Amino acid sequence: MARLSLWKDGKHSNDYKFFDRRISEMFTVGGTGILCHKYLGPIAQGAQITTTGVSTVNTDVLTVSNTGNVNLGDTITCSNVPTNAKVIAKNATTITLSANITANIASGTTVGVSQYASQPSYTNQSEKNIQDLLWLENRDRKYDTDVYKMRGIYQRQDQDFDLSQFGLFLQTGTIFMVFHLRDMVDLIGRKLMNGDVLELQHLTDYDALDQDVPAALKRYYVVGDASFASEGFTPTWWPHLWRVKLNPLVDSQEYKDILNNITVGNNNTPISQILSNYDKNIQVNDAVIREGEANVPLSGYDTSSLYVQPESIPPQPLRTADDVVDKADEIHDTADEGLLTAQDVPYAYLSGDKVAPNAVAMGMGIQFPQNALSGEFFLRTDYLPNRVFRYDGKRWVAINDVQRTSLTQGANNQTQLGTFVNASGSFVNADGNTVNVKQSLSKALTPKADN
Amino acid sequence: MSAPSNYFYDGQIRRYISQFIRMMSDFYVAFGADRNGNISYQRVPVVYGDQSRQAATILRNNSENTLNSVPAMAVYISGLSFDQARLQDPTFTQTMQIRQRHFDNETGTYTSQEGQSYSVERLMPAPYKLTLKLDIWTSNTEQKLQLVEQLSQLFKPALELQSTDNYIDWASLTYVLLTDTTWDSRSVPTGSEEPISIATLTFEMPIWISTSVKVKKMGVIQKVITNFQELETMAEIGQTVTTVNNYGIMLYNVGSNYFLKLLKPSDIVTANTYGIDAVTAQHSWTQLIGEYGEYRANSSEIRISTPNDSEIIGTIAINPTDDSVLIFNPFNDTLPANTMQNINAIIDPLTVNVNSFLTNPAVGTRYLLVNDVGDYENGSDGAEAWKGTSGQNLVAHANDIVEYNGNFWRVVFDSQLVDSLQYVTNLTTGIQYKWQHHQWTKSYDGVYNAGEWMLVL
Repeated sequence: MARLSLWKDGKHSNDYKFFDRRISEMFTVGGTGILCHKYLGPIAQGAQITTTGVSTVNTDVLTVSNTGNVNLGDTITCSNVPTNAKVIAKNATTITLSANITANIASGTTVGVSQYASQPSYTNQSEKNIQDLLWLENRDRKYDTDVYKMRGIYQRQDQDFDLSQFGLFLQTGTIFMVFHLRDMVDLIGRKLMNGDVLELQHLTDYDALDQDVPAALKRYYVVGDASFASEGFTPTWWPHLWRVKLNPLVDSQEYKDILNNITVGNNNTPISQILSNYDKNIQVNDAVIREGEANVPLSGYDTSSLYVQPESIPPQPLRTADDVVDKADEIHDTADEGLLTAQDVPYAYLSGDKVAPNAVAMGMGIQFPQNALSGEFFLRTDYLPNRVFRYDGKRWVAINDVQRTSLTQGANNQTQLGTFVNASGSFVNADGNTVNVKQSLSKALTPKADN
Repeated sequence: MSAPSNYFYDGQIRRYISQFIRMMSDFYVAFGADRNGNISYQRVPVVYGDQSRQAATILRNNSENTLNSVPAMAVYISGLSFDQARLQDPTFTQTMQIRQRHFDNETGTYTSQEGQSYSVERLMPAPYKLTLKLDIWTSNTEQKLQLVEQLSQLFKPALELQSTDNYIDWASLTYVLLTDTTWDSRSVPTGSEEPISIATLTFEMPIWISTSVKVKKMGVIQKVITNFQELETMAEIGQTVTTVNNYGIMLYNVGSNYFLKLLKPSDIVTANTYGIDAVTAQHSWTQLIGEYGEYRANSSEIRISTPNDSEIIGTIAINPTDDSVLIFNPFNDTLPANTMQNINAIIDPLTVNVNSFLTNPAVGTRYLLVNDVGDYENGSDGAEAWKGTSGQNLVAHANDIVEYNGNFWRVVFDSQLVDSLQYVTNLTTGIQYKWQHHQWTKSYDGVYNAGEWMLVL
């Protein structure tokens, strides 16, 4: 009689199967419902183009549909193309690689083009891909649109909120949940892994403070770590349980594929708008900005309400030999008497504005008016910054530059920094190409393919 | 409930923080292409980090299921210390003279004309160093790099910040100095824990914390307008006192109402029978006041310097039917108080009409005499009109005040004996008179020359 042994030399014995079925049944009987959003791998970044002809082995040219998004030095990702092959030349329909292809590439094959070698443009959707090989992270993740129903078991425990600078966090929000290994693999095709997102249906919150939300608040967790559960080993020494460490989900870039694509309510509201505190944080932020804008609408100081005492005789321009003899009506202390002078502008740091002293009438434009009267003010809008002038009878005297500007980030911010960051527009060069004004320092006027 | 007088709060640090949050706001991060190939940009919210637990609960919708959004930035105060190095004269006071444009209440806009004028006194504020931390929570390294690259280029090493755009606020301008950067709150290797990744930028902001200012009506400056270039010696500075357009004023009363008229040096002032001054020339108060500011009825003031170095202060209102006349409402406590009972009239005992006011006066009737009456040396037979019911003679000197006691007249103010300053009002004219230097003169009615009055608008 053979000696009694539940270990069967590495085989999954009937004992194992017996145990496994009983354990699976226990999950069916006592487990809680879990909806699994399966991680499929990073979303393809960079450009994806398609070959339009057959490329034969040991050649380095790919015929493609369009090379508009291809630049010299770009990394090519495609089956039968050596790893890290780069584009060394291109024309409208072909790209030349830095290495020969290892096998024929059929027409209609997808070719990935990426600017950075460490961020390949994958042509296959796989959990094995890593989006950024420098930082070793997957930022833009793709999730299966199908939702897998699973059963899991975990131990409930009381939890407290941790008040951080970013709001309330569940201090003990991490939970450990076990799943039946074989059922899990049979269902989703693999074990749960880091990045899979699980919805715990039994924690759905139907009683949020805001009762106007169009749906109950679902509870999401993301798998942090996963390993065999120690309690899942039977006397056969084979594991039956998969233990995952679940962290509360956050509304981050990584999970936008779930949060932006699940909609609820009659208006198909993305679930991120219901679950996330992003909108509220933006509202809070906007309120603070509005308060700041009320206190300082524009940079510098507001002197517009100040009254400027007119002076009787304005400064006269220097006379030159070319000056004609004064005419009878050029009497200083009559025509110009009492008009505001350049010296009348109250000094205040960065107070130049688009108003004349005492807000007297002022025209504006890109050229001075003809037949201007002595003492007349004019805003030249073609000057950057705009400049206020005053006509003293012989010349237009610069009074002040318009220095006041919004300090809020955005197009209205005309500070020196703002005009660089917010530079917009483009121009057409001599070759007829449109050139954007705002460019990265590292890429401005870099050479282009000239083969 | 009105605020206690010693209460003061202007939200100064609050303004610094709100401006700092504004400075750090509206930054974006780019997300990679989504499943449709679209690249998106997300604005990074900036909130105050030391929030209350209840507010945080409300923002979380009172639910465990709310998702915290990332990336996010939080600002909080990590220190506020007195900056001894920037301490200046703590008692220093600076006064600004501010003239505003006229504000048209009907249109709600400023006009191009001159409006209110103020003097603003500012006391040296206290220097402090405010230390702020900006925590940047990101979910991946690329996000962090995007934000750090956008933020860090701003500070070379500082960026200016304003808490107000008020021209008067001398403490509003400061700068934000980047002093330290902590790349990540996590350590490498991370281990089994999964803490969130927070980068921290530390900033220092030299700020001023001010007390309230004193806002006063501008007036003093308008009294003395001197062209120093015309002075030959410094001694002349103290002697050159001018008033607006070198006008004098005439203060007179009609009954209990007081009025002011402008006087040029060439104007002739006459007095009527009762001694009330009058002038025929008319000069416009409206025009004069308009040159210096905006007049506010019953609020603008005129201050008159009296010879005894006191001031008579009162509000003014332009007579709606004659702008050469200013209605003057003196503050009672600036008027000299009577030191004696009022007199009924001033009379000349030699020419007075003898009637019932003299022969049958009410008890307590008092007259001020401008001439002698009776004779001490001829006490047996005085003037009949002044004799008492039992034939008592009245002997009095000019400037004496006599009173009828029901039986006879008696001297109640002996001008020969009194040297002290006395005030008394003539009920007939309402004019108060002053006894000084052994003569009666008008107490404050009369003419004041240029330099002896000022206009406070």
